[in-house]
Amino acid sequence: MKSLQKPFAFFILFALILSACTSGAQTPAATEVQPAEPQQAATEEAAPPAKEAILRVGWSSEPDTMNPLTSYSTEALEVLALVYDNLLAYDLNFKPTLQLAEEYSYSEDGLTVTFKLRQGVKWQDGEPFTAEDVAFTYNLIKDNELGSYAQWLTKMTSAAAPDENTFVLTFDVPQAFNPGLTIPILPKHIWSSMSAEEIETFPNEAPIGTGPYKLIEWQVGSQITLGRNPDFWGKAPAADTVVYVLYGNEDVMAQALKAGDIDIITEVPPTIWDGLVDSENIKAVSLPSFSFHHIGFNVSKEANSPGNPLLKDKVVRQALNYAIDRNQLVQVALAGHGRPGDSILPVGLTDWYLPMPEDKRMDTNPEKAKEILEAAGYVDTDGDGTREDASGNPLEFRLIAIETTSVDVRAAQLFRDAAGAVGIKLDLQTLDENTLGELVYNVDNPDWDIFVWGWDSGIPDPNYMLGVPLCSQIGGNNDIFYCNEEYDTLYDEQASTLDFDARKAIVDQMQSMFYEDAAYIVMWYQDKLQAYRTDTWTGWTEIPGGLIYNMTRENYLKITPAK
Amino acid sequence: MFRLEFILKKLGQVAVTLFAVATFNFLLFRVLPGDPIRLLARAGRLTPEAIERLRLLFGLDKPLPIQYLYYLNNLLRGELGISMTYRRPVADILSERIANTVLLLAAATVIVVIIGVGSGVISAIRRGTRLDRSLVITSLVFWSLPTFWTGLILIILLGVYLKAFPISGIFTPGVTFSNTLDRLLDVGKHLILPTITLAIVDMGQFMLITRSTLVDVMTEDYILTARAKGLSFRKILWWHGFPNALLPIITTTALYVSLVIGGAIQVETIFSWPGMGRLMYDAVLRRDYPILEASFLLFAATMILANFLSDLFYMIVDPRVREA
Repeated sequence: MKSLQKPFAFFILFALILSACTSGAQTPAATEVQPAEPQQAATEEAAPPAKEAILRVGWSSEPDTMNPLTSYSTEALEVLALVYDNLLAYDLNFKPTLQLAEEYSYSEDGLTVTFKLRQGVKWQDGEPFTAEDVAFTYNLIKDNELGSYAQWLTKMTSAAAPDENTFVLTFDVPQAFNPGLTIPILPKHIWSSMSAEEIETFPNEAPIGTGPYKLIEWQVGSQITLGRNPDFWGKAPAADTVVYVLYGNEDVMAQALKAGDIDIITEVPPTIWDGLVDSENIKAVSLPSFSFHHIGFNVSKEANSPGNPLLKDKVVRQALNYAIDRNQLVQVALAGHGRPGDSILPVGLTDWYLPMPEDKRMDTNPEKAKEILEAAGYVDTDGDGTREDASGNPLEFRLIAIETTSVDVRAAQLFRDAAGAVGIKLDLQTLDENTLGELVYNVDNPDWDIFVWGWDSGIPDPNYMLGVPLCSQIGGNNDIFYCNEEYDTLYDEQASTLDFDARKAIVDQMQSMFYEDAAYIVMWYQDKLQAYRTDTWTGWTEIPGGLIYNMTRENYLKITPAK
Repeated sequence: MFRLEFILKKLGQVAVTLFAVATFNFLLFRVLPGDPIRLLARAGRLTPEAIERLRLLFGLDKPLPIQYLYYLNNLLRGELGISMTYRRPVADILSERIANTVLLLAAATVIVVIIGVGSGVISAIRRGTRLDRSLVITSLVFWSLPTFWTGLILIILLGVYLKAFPISGIFTPGVTFSNTLDRLLDVGKHLILPTITLAIVDMGQFMLITRSTLVDVMTEDYILTARAKGLSFRKILWWHGFPNALLPIITTTALYVSLVIGGAIQVETIFSWPGMGRLMYDAVLRRDYPILEASFLLFAATMILANFLSDLFYMIVDPRVREA
């Protein structure tokens, strides 16, 4: 009897706690948003026949924060791109178009960009927008190195507002990538009172921008609601409301699309996408993307690097390049939804991507792999199936991949088998992403040999991806400790070349050089897999990177309700 | 009735346990490999100066013992810190999520217990009949269903084909509610499928335990005595049988409530219910120390508090504890 009494007491207490918690919990949930309700109910009553046009977007992860200077998620960028405007932006062809700038021009020497700003633009709280806001934003980011935008202003020398409608940006070298294309303009009257430390912890729960939509409500963990900004300077978009709905499971998200609960989904894995292809009133699209997955080699030149020194030999890395069958990787790991990779620039960058010529391609050629290994003196002397160098060190390496990224694990297994077939032994271990990241980026002690990971180009410009394997990025973004002075020189040169053709020539040279050095095996460029309902909204333009959840917001502004 | 000395001793134990848990939580996440800032840097291409400021901001630049002292100091002042991912106070984030999780669990627990125990009683008094056999088989089948799979099937059947209930989230997307009642009704509708899922997979154990205990009790001698006294069957069942069968049921319920916090993570995921499960999952992946420390401390504190209160409760119901 005694042993049963304790659980009994427990039960009563738990019941009490539960009931206390729920009665307390329901009230705030119900009252939380009430301030906004009366007006909205009123407007709805005022115009009863007009049905509200809502675009409902399904996604499987949500923004980190609404503060553009501390957010690192694609989801936050997606929402904030509708709330804030840049000076310039990308159109549906990824060509620059105007947002808050009405026109812009470069000085003769290319060092100064002068922007003429739109007049009569209002912040969503009614304050007027001026060049002061622009200058404030640029200086704030530059002076305090805030967020991911600071990388585009490293060469900025001044940002000034000579008059209310003019903004002048000066650099110490010409900038091929105009930072106006990516930096959101913040209202000085809200942000100027905060220190950099305060900004780092500012959640910006009620963002005020000049963009086509205004944040109405973010129910954390469930949905984000945007309402049309009536004072928007441009053409009013057709959707009165845009709602982002968070799904915990991608199968359920696909079912919700079928059931008509949502109109479009930002991204689905191949297996689920295949199940949507033949669904009624649904179009599933597979588009080239700005992303790739790659195998990286620890090529650190530091004498005390714990990475296997045999990987410093380019021949070994090239042999691994030859050994792997990239088409098989795409077919098996991605179920065919991608393209075999080569250059460090993903195929979505259509103007810049350089496919490697047939005679230079290192792919699906195990015979060639064996040949160059033999020629360089790597032979299997002890008959254990693994080659050794002249002093008997075996070609045996540690391979790490992220356990939750199933495509990477599958690819790593295929890679291990392919390497084994040419006499190189790989020991595969899977880790979680954070552990792998800390291991790979440990500058003082990079105790690893080969990893599998992926990259997204943050902008539709080569600067971001080409800028990863720079000597100066060791300790920053450089995940392989690659350092080639010539490559770095070319990088600076292309970054300051304003003429497209001249820049393209340098960018091509860099792609070939990095490919030939074989410090990365770019396995594939995966497709962006999306799906949308054809009976609710129409007028989507299919572009690289996706209809939405991409580096242009134009599709949101162009769609119209389906008849 | 309450002895002050006893209570003080118990309170002292509570304080020591809480301190031990807080310390363990702090160490546990920080000895895990990984780094909360590093992946932010990869995504945002931060300069070394910006990374340094973030480390400074979250106190990660200090050696571990100093970080620990800061952490204890903040805890004592009731400060849970600021989330490294969401950059909002952890207390705000947790209170939103806990409310949702508790709402779901409370609804499910009530239904699971009522249906499970009710069908167990029916089965026991109709022992050996076809009804009894089918109830037992159904319970066994339900008990062995995987939560995730059951949820998906319900979504497809009741949500997508019959369109009877919403399949995910806590509110209908894009709807503006004109009053609080409509809003609550909408939440209620969204509660149905996750609650049914929890009820289906969890009611079996209640049914089987109720049935077997009640069958045992009803064959005891004192039941025979009661019958000999000429009491009605109904009176025997509800006055002499069921109360004695209640204790194992309560054991199961107590166990259930503590286990369901883990089990609800699956249901929360599949029905996109904005509760603690998803928050903690993301926090582990991102090494968001303040959120991890606070939520684990909260779970532990709830258990410790319940234990303390149950000790007090013991003093009331059991004289032997009071005298000890």
